[in-house]
Amino acid sequence: MSMDRSFGSGPSSEQPAAALPEAGLREPAAAQPETGTREPAAAQPDLPASLYREICRYLGYRGITPDDEIRERIGRNFRALRDAAGKRSVFRAFPVSFPAEGTIRIGSPADAGFEVRSRDLYRNLRGCSEVILLAVTIGPGPDLLVRRAEVGDLPGAAILQAAGAAMAEEYCDEVNRSLEEQARGENRFLRPRYSPGYGDFSLEFQKDFSRLLDMPRTIGVSLTDSLLMVPSKSITAVIGVSDTPPECAARGCDTCGASGSCPYRAT
Amino acid sequence: MFDFRAKLGRELLINDGGMGSLLQARGLKGGELPERWNITHPDDIIAVHTAYLEAGADMITTNTFGANALKYPDPDELRAVVRRGVELAAEARDRAGRSPVSSGADEAGCPSSDSSSDLSSGRSSRRPAFVGLDIGPTGKLLAPMGDLPFERAVELFSEVVRIGAEAGADYVIIETMSDAYEAKAAALAAKESCSLPVIVTVTFDGRGKLLTGGSVDSVTATLEGLKVDALGVNCGLGPVQLLPIVKRLTEIASVPVVVNPNAGLPRYENGATVYDVGPEEFAKAMLDIAALPVQVMGGCCGTTPDHIRALADAVRPLPFIPASEKQRTVVSSFSRAVELGRRTVIIGERINPTGKKAFKQALRDRNIDYILNEGLAQESAGADILDVNVGLPEIDEPAMMAEVVDRLQSVTPLPLQIDTSDPAALERALRLYNGKAMVNSVNGTRESIEKVMPVVARYGGVLVGLCLDESGIPDTAEGRVAVALKIYAAAEEYGIPAKDIIIDALALTVSSDGRSALTTLETLGQLKDGSRNGLTILGVSNISFGLPHRELVNAAFLGMAMERGLSAAIMNPLNPEMMNAYRSSLALLAMDENCMDYIAAYAGVPAAASPSVQASPRAAGSSAGAASSGAASSAAASSGAASSGAADAAVFSDKASPEELSSALRESVRRGLSDKAARITAQALASFDPLDLINAALIPALDEVGRGFEQGTVFLPQLLLSADAAKAAFEKIKEGMAGSASEPKGRIILATVKGDIHDIGKNIVKVMLENYSYEVIDLGKDVPPEVIADTAVRENIRLVGLSALMTTTVVSMEDTIKLLRERKPDTLVVVGGAVMTEEYAAAIGADYYAADAMATVRYADKVFGGE
Repeated sequence: MSMDRSFGSGPSSEQPAAALPEAGLREPAAAQPETGTREPAAAQPDLPASLYREICRYLGYRGITPDDEIRERIGRNFRALRDAAGKRSVFRAFPVSFPAEGTIRIGSPADAGFEVRSRDLYRNLRGCSEVILLAVTIGPGPDLLVRRAEVGDLPGAAILQAAGAAMAEEYCDEVNRSLEEQARGENRFLRPRYSPGYGDFSLEFQKDFSRLLDMPRTIGVSLTDSLLMVPSKSITAVIGVSDTPPECAARGCDTCGASGSCPYRAT
Repeated sequence: MFDFRAKLGRELLINDGGMGSLLQARGLKGGELPERWNITHPDDIIAVHTAYLEAGADMITTNTFGANALKYPDPDELRAVVRRGVELAAEARDRAGRSPVSSGADEAGCPSSDSSSDLSSGRSSRRPAFVGLDIGPTGKLLAPMGDLPFERAVELFSEVVRIGAEAGADYVIIETMSDAYEAKAAALAAKESCSLPVIVTVTFDGRGKLLTGGSVDSVTATLEGLKVDALGVNCGLGPVQLLPIVKRLTEIASVPVVVNPNAGLPRYENGATVYDVGPEEFAKAMLDIAALPVQVMGGCCGTTPDHIRALADAVRPLPFIPASEKQRTVVSSFSRAVELGRRTVIIGERINPTGKKAFKQALRDRNIDYILNEGLAQESAGADILDVNVGLPEIDEPAMMAEVVDRLQSVTPLPLQIDTSDPAALERALRLYNGKAMVNSVNGTRESIEKVMPVVARYGGVLVGLCLDESGIPDTAEGRVAVALKIYAAAEEYGIPAKDIIIDALALTVSSDGRSALTTLETLGQLKDGSRNGLTILGVSNISFGLPHRELVNAAFLGMAMERGLSAAIMNPLNPEMMNAYRSSLALLAMDENCMDYIAAYAGVPAAASPSVQASPRAAGSSAGAASSGAASSAAASSGAASSGAADAAVFSDKASPEELSSALRESVRRGLSDKAARITAQALASFDPLDLINAALIPALDEVGRGFEQGTVFLPQLLLSADAAKAAFEKIKEGMAGSASEPKGRIILATVKGDIHDIGKNIVKVMLENYSYEVIDLGKDVPPEVIADTAVRENIRLVGLSALMTTTVVSMEDTIKLLRERKPDTLVVVGGAVMTEEYAAAIGADYYAADAMATVRYADKVFGGE
């Protein structure tokens, strides 16, 4: 017999999220005056413009559109990726308390919870009574495609990596949005999501995520010895839930400690 | 003593249900490890087992699902938790009067006569019950997807099996496996560490796939090859969703089938996970599954003793139907199964050093990518299976075979044929192979049989048997069939089923024995005679050795052999002549329904497109014509790009000036057009000295692109495409420069340090360095400091490049640099990677920080150019 655990506080993990309008957490990059090629037209018929822009950003294009050859490759690789992706998500709500400034305690006495020391996470969650632990993945298919591409098609591999990262973020946005809707229905508000490994929120806490969400069993995601998630196109995040709307909450690139020279910064 | 094997598959057995939620109802915390309750709450554990026994379970599984050294690093705690798990289950079983001895069963396990009425009425009070050592996944994904090495996984499972078997478990049940490789590791561990029966159940998603891609067919083939005693499914889905999956399973499995579904799909309500399917509905759905038929049924998440009671009551009265032998011959990879004996399958022959200079060099250079590319190319061309032969006297064949199989199986879903005469290479390959492989080969000599068959019996496989023995190769069909029969008999001795033997009738060249093809064809026919229906295979190309235009003879022979029922052809799928013959024969032999595949392949091809070889006219005076048509056709055959080449040839007529060619080459490299760059280079070599071509066209083009990348006008994909095009041009130049291999400008080690598996950046640097004539020793990713230092010392390397993406692995970089300073102080270290900065680089003692691939190239130029 195996363990059955509660593993969702919302839509079941296999349910595909409905397509939502482009009102995400991250605003699309403003088009820069280009020194390169042509107008940012729709990339490919079945590749949404916002996702295409994100892929370009991950490839380092900084607002400039790539030429036809690259655009065609992006479209082709994206399609292969989409067919190979297996989206799964799991989330669970936990009570949260703040024993001291900069310290966050997640979990009730009935859970084997954990405690985090992080000023950045504290700033993000202060005032919340509950947090949602969220984990999403687009599955192992994309990783296999990258491995194959690395053998003889390095440009394709680079594109697949970028597209995979963009796809995982986009899926995370979708799930996040549906959680926001749910919260709105209960007159509650969500803080911007915050992932381990950012700021001073240590990557060590991936282990607690994995344990509390039973990630290997619920969404098929496990951790390497160096705390990287496998499959690699996976995202974990803490989302604070409060009864009052957040004041001017920093989100996205603004919350990251990397210097302004980050090549992937969304402007 | 009583044996579970006597029952399994011979009568219906009921498994227990879920334990997790029952323990949670008794106070187990979310996120707490349940196995510890074997020590802290033994009474609760016994109570749960007892409830299931009373509900009618014949099989109870120990509370050890997550017990392994990863989750329980203290070996004493692990031992205690597993021991107690088995002891508590046995105690519950004995207290309930269900021990095989006290239940009144006799030595053979048959219940004594006065309990027979209990059986037919469905009451379980006197049925013997069995304790299964429950083994779940480790929680880490195996390499290459994750970072848990296969052998480490086997070790982890072996440890638990030994403890559990010693504590008195009756069988081992490996469950909730979502990765075929992990299932193999666990099954091997169980078979090697105890002699108990082994059951393996896996978890499929709604599409009938494992998390890592396994299908019902591929997983079944792999597990049956490992000789598990029963296999099946558990968790993930409810009985209704599982029905089509189990149906397929029962169609193909020759061992007993086990089904433990969840109580439907989970729903979340008021802070708890709820499974909606109640006991009656569950039992009703299980009736459909019982009818398929299956031999063991129970439940998983969401099921309770009530579910099991309802199940037992519903299915016990049904007549029992055992599993039947399906006589299917199947090989598998991590995700795909290929059945032999229906349509003739293609086994790609190109991964083989025989007669291939470049391949031999790749083996000496440990250039695995070269080999992988051959594999992927054959996959695209339509191979069903890939032959893998890396036998070269001057290399370590077992190590090379292990490495190639490991990497090949991580990029292609095609099953592999392990082709070697080295028993150590065979053992290593079969042990780590993720699936059930083909093995090439055994022959009729005692020596071969004794070396090869035990290994195949142990790991599973479809074994190719060559019709030769101590007396050599028989020159009659009867003689060869006699050897085949010897091989079948030996296989039976060693426990390899006849369906897993495939006979190579041997294709000897007709150029030395004119009747050779007839003998082979006759042998093929006889092997299929009557009830034998033996499987057959041929190395098709061998028939034409020594003749001109071998592919013509090979193609004709392939058609003839297919007509005699050839099950598998070892051939080159990249050869158009062979593939034309293959597809036509499939259509002619009714193996291509409505000729669909043939039409799909050829309908769009223009009539005049494929130039075929023309026989020489007999008249002596037309030797010039014969020479040119021969040259044209051999060029077409070797390049395989006749039609597209013709279109571009118009642009670059033989009259193109050197300047035009050079400029065209620069342009195609700049734009990243690999095919064009290769063609122009081939043409340019007629009028250019190779080094001039490199210096006048290739290097300037690369420099231009590189500068653009540094300045932010050219971006990464473009850089890589240009690098690819330059590489294609370099390959052509290398071919043309046979004999005068130019010295590399320098030799550089590249590695992604221990703890880090990101290597795209490193690979990009490698491509750029190679383009600029550096030789790169690529040690891969997650590389320990010792390996880097050892290689630097052994190969006397002056420059090492280290890459890391994560802040946590900067420490590894520091360790590596320290070790290098100790052991080879004159080596310089350049570091890079997304997380690296000038400050970090200085702090860890690196000699240089390279912001990107071009910066690394410039630094290498400085180091080796002495500027």
